[in-house]
Amino acid sequence: MQNSKGVLARWDNLGWRFVRAVVAGLVMALAFGGTGVSASRAEAFVAERAVVQILTSSQVPVYDAPWRFQPVQRSSGTGFVIEGGRILTNAHVIAWAKQILVRRYQDPRLLPARVVFAGHDCDLALLELIDPKELAEVKPLEFGELPEVRSTVVTAGYPAGGDQMSFTRGVVSRIEVQPYAHPGNRALLAVQTDAAINPGNSGGPVIQDDKVVGVAFQGIPGLQNAGFFIPPEVIRHFLDDIKDNRYDGFPMAGLSFYDLQNPAYRRLLGLPDDGRGARVDSLRAGGPAEKVLKPDDVLLEANGFVVGSDSLVLYKGNRVAATVVFQQLQAGQTLRLKIWRDRAPLGVDLPLEAYDGDRLNGRQYDEPPRYFIYGGLVFTSLSANYLDSVSGGGRGGMSDELAQLAYELHHLPVENPDAARTEPVVLSSVLPHPVNADFGVRGQALVNRINGVRITCLEDVKRALLEHKGERHRFEFWGPKYGVLDALDRAAATAANADILRTYGIVSAERL
Amino acid sequence: MKTLRSLAGLSSLARALSLALIALALAIAFVPAAAQAQPMLRTAPDWTRSLVNVEITFKAHDAFQPWNNPTLSVRKHGLVVAANEVLTTAQYLPTHTLVRLQKGGRGRWYDARVKWWDAQSNLALLTTEAPEFWAGLKPAELMTTVPAGPEFNLVRWREGNLESRRADFSRFIVSEGAMGFSPQMIMEVGTDIGGRLGWAEIVERDGRVAGLTTYGTSRLCGVMPASFIQRVLAAYRAGGFAGLGYFDFTWQPGSNPALVADLGLSGAPRGAVVHKPGKAKGEAGPQAGDVLLEIGGFAIDSEGDYLDPDYKHLQLENLATRAHFAGDKLPIKILRAGKEMTLDYVIPKAEFSNDTVPREVFYAPPAYVVAGGLIFQPLSQTFLRGWGDDWRKNSPFRLQYYQYAEPPDGRKALVVLSGVLPDDINLGYQDAFMLVLDKVNGQPVATLADLNAALAAPKDGVHRFEFMKGRGLQRLILDAATLDAATKRVVEHYGIPAATRL
Repeated sequence: MQNSKGVLARWDNLGWRFVRAVVAGLVMALAFGGTGVSASRAEAFVAERAVVQILTSSQVPVYDAPWRFQPVQRSSGTGFVIEGGRILTNAHVIAWAKQILVRRYQDPRLLPARVVFAGHDCDLALLELIDPKELAEVKPLEFGELPEVRSTVVTAGYPAGGDQMSFTRGVVSRIEVQPYAHPGNRALLAVQTDAAINPGNSGGPVIQDDKVVGVAFQGIPGLQNAGFFIPPEVIRHFLDDIKDNRYDGFPMAGLSFYDLQNPAYRRLLGLPDDGRGARVDSLRAGGPAEKVLKPDDVLLEANGFVVGSDSLVLYKGNRVAATVVFQQLQAGQTLRLKIWRDRAPLGVDLPLEAYDGDRLNGRQYDEPPRYFIYGGLVFTSLSANYLDSVSGGGRGGMSDELAQLAYELHHLPVENPDAARTEPVVLSSVLPHPVNADFGVRGQALVNRINGVRITCLEDVKRALLEHKGERHRFEFWGPKYGVLDALDRAAATAANADILRTYGIVSAERL
Repeated sequence: MKTLRSLAGLSSLARALSLALIALALAIAFVPAAAQAQPMLRTAPDWTRSLVNVEITFKAHDAFQPWNNPTLSVRKHGLVVAANEVLTTAQYLPTHTLVRLQKGGRGRWYDARVKWWDAQSNLALLTTEAPEFWAGLKPAELMTTVPAGPEFNLVRWREGNLESRRADFSRFIVSEGAMGFSPQMIMEVGTDIGGRLGWAEIVERDGRVAGLTTYGTSRLCGVMPASFIQRVLAAYRAGGFAGLGYFDFTWQPGSNPALVADLGLSGAPRGAVVHKPGKAKGEAGPQAGDVLLEIGGFAIDSEGDYLDPDYKHLQLENLATRAHFAGDKLPIKILRAGKEMTLDYVIPKAEFSNDTVPREVFYAPPAYVVAGGLIFQPLSQTFLRGWGDDWRKNSPFRLQYYQYAEPPDGRKALVVLSGVLPDDINLGYQDAFMLVLDKVNGQPVATLADLNAALAAPKDGVHRFEFMKGRGLQRLILDAATLDAATKRVVEHYGIPAATRL
């Protein structure tokens, strides 16, 4: 086996996979390349024919040069056949895939596959072979229920350190709502186990009594004997969601609630000190919760689950964050809440919606970044992916400019929704050319206004530039009110567009 | 000639020998020149008679337990500049508890008194009532204009001996002072003297002081020029030092012809472009989109520099302090909407309290309020620096960001809930900290005084604390009837000298 230090060092070189900024410390159990001594099989396993290795060749875009892609990366993960002859795995195993190959148990061939659905918010994906007949003979694995803490589970997969399938056994250590490293801005139910989950295990089944009780997905570097798997409730939610041939994702109510343990606060709200109820602290502007809840409402029950004053519910014997109840519903369904308002109980229905308003805020996959190039000025969306690519993932040594971009992306929409832009635009770079040689701003700058038009998305940039009739284009960066000014000669820039694209080998001036 | 002069100040035999070898090599190569230099050798200036040691014991800021007053000591240099007056930099003096002087690099330390200090100019004057200290000391001579290069000597006390080493002129730059944000012209010099630098060592030539160091690495240091020091001291002695000013508008180079043409300028690019105005409105000060053409009669080029008669090309910011103090009128010729006009700009005073998150707070000791175990402090850079040398990386991002963006309601200062000392009264709030106060009991809070005033008016038997809208907790409640008793309990339990220090 490769020691963990070696594995981490290799992961570290692969920047984008190594999620640091939002979910510090969590890494996904995906293997890259890899050779080594072979590990012996631990035990015979009835379901091994359903477990496959997934070999992915992927290409990640360069966010600050959005027309380009990074070199192709090869990585491997695990998947398993489920009902319908499809393969379930982690979304991070197939993210940005250009080619997906499946290796069956004791089959020398590499079978091409494609993604049917990817749920990046829950890190699950469904694949099918280009030739589905290849799996016709394989008995699919069935799903069990959330395993109990202290019970034993077995993982199966293709971790780094060898080529053959590997099994590990462990106990269920605890069950909690955990941040999911792959989306970076979602926390869902997850199970911690001491069964070894190593790079390459990603997407593999976690089995108990011949049934799948989880999908192995992430670990915490430095934490000994702790791996995480996605429990059956999250898997079923994903599989139910796609039954209408569309993936909506986990709904978000748009509320933040807080422990209500302080005796004075409870007295003020007229609640006895009985350990029940979590206090609504804030509501997202425009979210569904804002229509039915108010700050200082107290959540007493959610779909029949009693909410404790620690903001947790008792869920199948585990105390977990009350959001787990919200996450059982699909977008479009309604959560029945019992709340406490004005010193009296009240029943309210909270309709849940799919929410992607924080898309730019989390990590994005499979859709290359939008951009628009004019006169050598490269405009693209401000996103977590962009910020990571220019700041190296961490906040260490972040410049004033990057701090301002981070604020605009992560804080302004919460603090001042009216001032936030739907798609903040940055001038990511300037492709040097005589028409822009004197342009003072050379990149990493938030675009505030162009020719007097406030920029709220990339389409605004295109419109403001192409519809302008003046002699020069005027740019205002940063804002909200004041910032660096710049200008570009309109006729010269327009005339130079084709030449610039040719010089820098850019096929298209835009991806909108 | 230069080599010989360097030799004269050396005390280390080894260094003297190595330089003697260099001198010898030069002598071989340039025999006639060396021969000519010989008669010009002059007596080395006796810096032991005007360069002294200064020891400052000061209170440091404990960001997490502001009632703690750890004291630290530093040693730096002072320069006798007048009868009974020692000049030094102001660094570490604002929160001093004890200042002492030592002459001759060794022996007795004399208790001293701080006559005057000014953070923006980073200058201070010390004195001592002990007449024996002054015996044998004489004021140093300061240059009125500091010539650009090529070389000076850096002189300091080191382990009881005076040490002197060549310091090569590097350049004049304009930057913020080492303590304040008022612009200053700084002379950078390179030296291989080694050890710690930036502790008010002197840089001299021909026995006249060119300046005091204010920062340094082992090979490069910044020198506050004597010309600047003289001007500030003269104003202070005349009783008319109004403090240093600064330009409160921000500007960018006007080097893009398309931009300055768009702003109405014809001909070759010149001038700098203002993109954010200061406080002065209309014709009282530059506004966004104005092109700065002349400041105080000096033409501004498209890089934002002017041609200084003594120091060549310098950044225009220097014109705020070059010949003026805060409150002075300074004519600024601009191009606004295609027309030239001259503004009567009044130079604003550089004061830390101008910023919502002040860079320095000289509380001695730091201010705080402990209420029911909740610890409140003014938000300042001094507080943020409590996260250590890497404070920019390690301190909470949102707190830092108030340095860049003022709160939308324009409040001029902020109070942060910096921690919670666990007690029954604050049960359930143990994780609530590093939050900026918005209101307490419905009243906006900008200062600790506002907080204390608001705490005098609870409603419905509780104190309501509301925090700035954001990703963190929005509000919490404390019982009003038991708050005072709880605060007393917390203060005793955690060994805090007083619940409030404003």
